Amino acid sequence: MKKSILEDILKELHQQAYHWSRQCCSFDEDLEKDVLQQVYLKILNGKAIYKEKSQLKTWLFSVIRFTASEWRKKDQNVFPMDMDFDTAEQEEEAKTDSHEDLIQILPERQKEILLLVFYHNLTLEKAAEVMGISIGSVRTHYDRGKKNLKDLILKKTLHENKR
Amino acid sequence: MKTKDNSEEQNLKIFFSEMKAKDSALVIPQFPKIRKSKSWSLIPLGIAASLALLAWFDRGDKPIQTLDHDVIIITLEEGENNELQFIIESTTELESWESPTSSLLTEF
Repeated sequence: MKKSILEDILKELHQQAYHWSRQCCSFDEDLEKDVLQQVYLKILNGKAIYKEKSQLKTWLFSVIRFTASEWRKKDQNVFPMDMDFDTAEQEEEAKTDSHEDLIQILPERQKEILLLVFYHNLTLEKAAEVMGISIGSVRTHYDRGKKNLKDLILKKTLHENKR
Repeated sequence: MKTKDNSEEQNLKIFFSEMKAKDSALVIPQFPKIRKSKSWSLIPLGIAASLALLAWFDRGDKPIQTLDHDVIIITLEEGENNELQFIIESTTELESWESPTSSLLTEF
């Protein structure tokens, strides 16, 4: 595919790519911008090559997911100097008000599959391509994710009604 | 059962549509401008750099090596009264020189 055409399609998909990148970076906007920038560089410098085997959106989403996981691995061992390592208590009291907070509670793969299907309107097959796992595994994560998120929404509603 | 599943799925759809609505308020940065690589524009720069390098290596300000007082010739000669004396000379040119004391070169 010609570079100019690829660039035009990337421009069209930029908004969706932004949201997916943000979701892959646990809604950290600074990290998200770095990741997306890195993704565009990879693509336009020919380090990530689109072989037209799948839809461009699916391919772009998988590059974003992969790059975000690379960055997370890099950042995993870096702790700020003022970090409090005793976070157990804080986790229990974590606010679960926003949609993002609820989604963040889910295990990574469940979170990803639900976002791909419900937020980005991908089919389970396309989601499997993005996540690089089998359709069977995707179905399992999808069912578990739906159940877990449903429970979380229910808990949140009950909590709000009690107030 | 199916109705229950559908209503549950509906709840999730509502949840995500609310999330999308919230996200729509986010300010999304513009697609970054990508500089088109003009590799041909680097050619004159490369030529200029090569010429500068050549000029650097071939520059004419090489130190001129003069032999002023650099070559000292010490000869041992026999004087009139058969005494040996050293003669020390310095020269700036040394194209050919033969030892006046050829005996020193003789192999015994």
